[in-house]
Amino acid sequence: MDVSQYLEIFLDETDEHLQNLNTQILLLEQEPDNMDTINEIFRAAHSLKGMAGTMGYKRMQNLTHDMENVFSEVRNGNIKVKAEMIDVLFQCLDALDEYNANIRESADEGTNDNEPLIKQLNDIMNDGKEGAETAAPAAAPTSEQPAGESGGKKWLEIKLGESERSVLKEAVKQGKNVYGLTVSIQEACILKAARAFLVFKAIEEDGEIIVSDPPTQEIEDEKFGFDFSLIVISGSPLDKVIAAASNVSEIQEVLGDVLDLDHEEKTEAAVQETQEKPEAVEPAAVPAAPAAVPAAPAKGNKKVEEKKPAASKPVVNRTVRVDIEKLDTLMNLVSELIIAKNSLVSASAVSGTSSTAVNEQIEYLESVTTSLHESVMKVRMVPIESTVSKFPRMVRDLQKKLGKKMELYMTGEETELDRTVVDEIGDPLMHLLRNSADHGLESAEVRKERGKPEVGSIFLDAYQDGNNVVIEVRDDGNGIDTQAVRNKAIERGVITPEQAENMNEKDSIELLFNAGFSTAQVVSDVSGRGVGLDVVKSKIEALSGEVEVKSKLGEGSSWIIRLPLTLAIIQALMVDIGNEKYAVSLGAIQTIEDIPPQDVKLVQAKEVIQLRDLVIPLIRLNEILDIESKKDPDENLVVVIVKKGDKLAGLVVDELIGQQEIVIKPLGKYVSKCKVISGATVLGDGEVALILDANTLI
Amino acid sequence: MEELKATGDYKQFIVIKLGEEQYGIDIKYIENIVRMQHITRVPKVDSYLKGVINLRGEVIPVMSIRIKMGLEPDQETKSSRIIILKLGMNGLIGIIVDEVKEVVTLESDQIEKIAYDSKDDKDSFLCGVGKCAGGLISLLDLNSVVLENL
Repeated sequence: MDVSQYLEIFLDETDEHLQNLNTQILLLEQEPDNMDTINEIFRAAHSLKGMAGTMGYKRMQNLTHDMENVFSEVRNGNIKVKAEMIDVLFQCLDALDEYNANIRESADEGTNDNEPLIKQLNDIMNDGKEGAETAAPAAAPTSEQPAGESGGKKWLEIKLGESERSVLKEAVKQGKNVYGLTVSIQEACILKAARAFLVFKAIEEDGEIIVSDPPTQEIEDEKFGFDFSLIVISGSPLDKVIAAASNVSEIQEVLGDVLDLDHEEKTEAAVQETQEKPEAVEPAAVPAAPAAVPAAPAKGNKKVEEKKPAASKPVVNRTVRVDIEKLDTLMNLVSELIIAKNSLVSASAVSGTSSTAVNEQIEYLESVTTSLHESVMKVRMVPIESTVSKFPRMVRDLQKKLGKKMELYMTGEETELDRTVVDEIGDPLMHLLRNSADHGLESAEVRKERGKPEVGSIFLDAYQDGNNVVIEVRDDGNGIDTQAVRNKAIERGVITPEQAENMNEKDSIELLFNAGFSTAQVVSDVSGRGVGLDVVKSKIEALSGEVEVKSKLGEGSSWIIRLPLTLAIIQALMVDIGNEKYAVSLGAIQTIEDIPPQDVKLVQAKEVIQLRDLVIPLIRLNEILDIESKKDPDENLVVVIVKKGDKLAGLVVDELIGQQEIVIKPLGKYVSKCKVISGATVLGDGEVALILDANTLI
Repeated sequence: MEELKATGDYKQFIVIKLGEEQYGIDIKYIENIVRMQHITRVPKVDSYLKGVINLRGEVIPVMSIRIKMGLEPDQETKSSRIIILKLGMNGLIGIIVDEVKEVVTLESDQIEKIAYDSKDDKDSFLCGVGKCAGGLISLLDLNSVVLENL
């Protein structure tokens, strides 16, 4: 079977299940007796096993199989949850993660059998239930409960409709046999639907299937437990039919008997009289599969997982998985539309056909494109949860590794960001959290001395603030010792002692973002290799975001990351320089000033202006961009004040054109040499304008 | 312009003119041919990169192969065209030509390989010379014309 087309889905779902398992096992550690959690874990493990098996990843399947066995025993109350067990389970998850990573890279799971882990799992099993039966099949408790009085002969519960009954009676009249069959499939079977299909085929060689329970469609979709029942008309004797069905591989058992139509009618009448069980009298012609009843444990859980191949009723899925590329295409089309709309606006202004009707329609079009843009943007937005939900596990591991006590508190996991940003933000956040855990928080003894609670707290808060999303990593640890930072910087030769003298707190903290800087006394494998913070900063700036640090010695520090909601479409200020038009992102602009030429001063041969007690360097864009300015040197300067972090600069332009929503287009590799340009955009008249990157200008 | 035809024993070329000389560009690299339009200059790049244009909403860089090949700078005329090429993974790029003449099909025996001993800069941009009814056509080696020095 060629499964490569499913690889992507497999990887995504595996990630989801692993994440789910991580979260749930963490929960289990807190509340070892929570049945909901245990069930959830069991289901996730079971789905993982099934998926790995289908894709032919044997090692992954083996490991999940053993994990599932352990969970199954926990669920049956044969094993108690212990700390060592949680540790082993986490190691298993890491091993699975590794398989997944291997598969992602090379479509191969690698060769690591993880035998020690499997052995540990088996040890846990054996410790837990000395004398008990060995490795009960995992799914046994779900499917082997007796299904009412009919025992294994579940076909007896099939309710026949009028038309079916008449067909059967007709067949009997013609001398054919009517059988009821119940086929049980081995629980280890992975392609149940395929097996069922083969059984159908075998029976239909010499007969006809009148009714199946669950209905054929559901069987094809694998929405059934480990058995299904059939009513069959056949010319062959019963044992031949049973033999034909049993010949299909992975079929555990086929029960069958001649169907007594009169008896059938009686039982049905009896059932209808009692009407006690709601399952038996559903309005549908076919009663609920008996297999659905034993699935009750799943129903007790709030989070019903639709992927479980077992008998739980299919939950209607209200979401669609969409390839990110398709979303990009959609976004591009919306961008085109906005460009077209801009063209229309400028065309109607130029042609002078500005009747009220045209204007009204244009305004309407504008509001539609704006809402369309917003909706598409929303589609691309995902909650940061997918990224941050792995952090509790990480902090737990750090706690063990560092021997410090700490707790992670997260809020605002539901805050949404553009998908590309969410994917990229994980690493920087991880760095900051590790930083807080390693450098920020003091050891339990020191904390006690300082009168703080022994358990350190790390906070991760996310919230939306206007057009930005703010993610804050905060700890109640030691804070940043700026003196130590300066000393270290001098030692490393980053600054001279004289420079250090004149540095304020803010500048000192800024030193931390220098490449190759770490204040940790001991280099640990958690952090302190000096590759952390500068990478964090550059990564966040690459996402057009910024990092800010606030710290109070002895009380803790907080790292504030600000990210734009979306990257593709921005509000920009259009400016004229010479005969060319350029765009400056509105997000970077502080103010716009009108400066008389005589106010421009020289400091160290560089032009500056003084603005409300601040000295701001001037950047004459026409010089940087090799354009001849149209303006007279005596005229007042139009200065756009832009901000990068704490730094300000004044960009001198010729004219302001106005504010506009622009769509960012990449310039491509051929013109990548130009650093001050971050992209291009197509204006309403079809002309291309370049976008100035204020960050590199400063 | 079926792909199949170009892969057989013959190749198709678009014949363009730069000055008096005729050049051939392998048709399989050509995405589009557009009229001359306003080119937005990009500062701080090599002189042969004339800037970027808007092609149906996409921003595409445009290069002067005249400057790249050491010829006289372009004189924009009514017959000037921008040929949009797609070369490997680098995305689209436009090159400015004086005139687009025709499409020719050359059998492999009509193409003469060029010996690589010439010191002349211009020749290193060629991958062969084609002979047909319209005279000689210098076949451009696009990879060296466009991608070199990038």
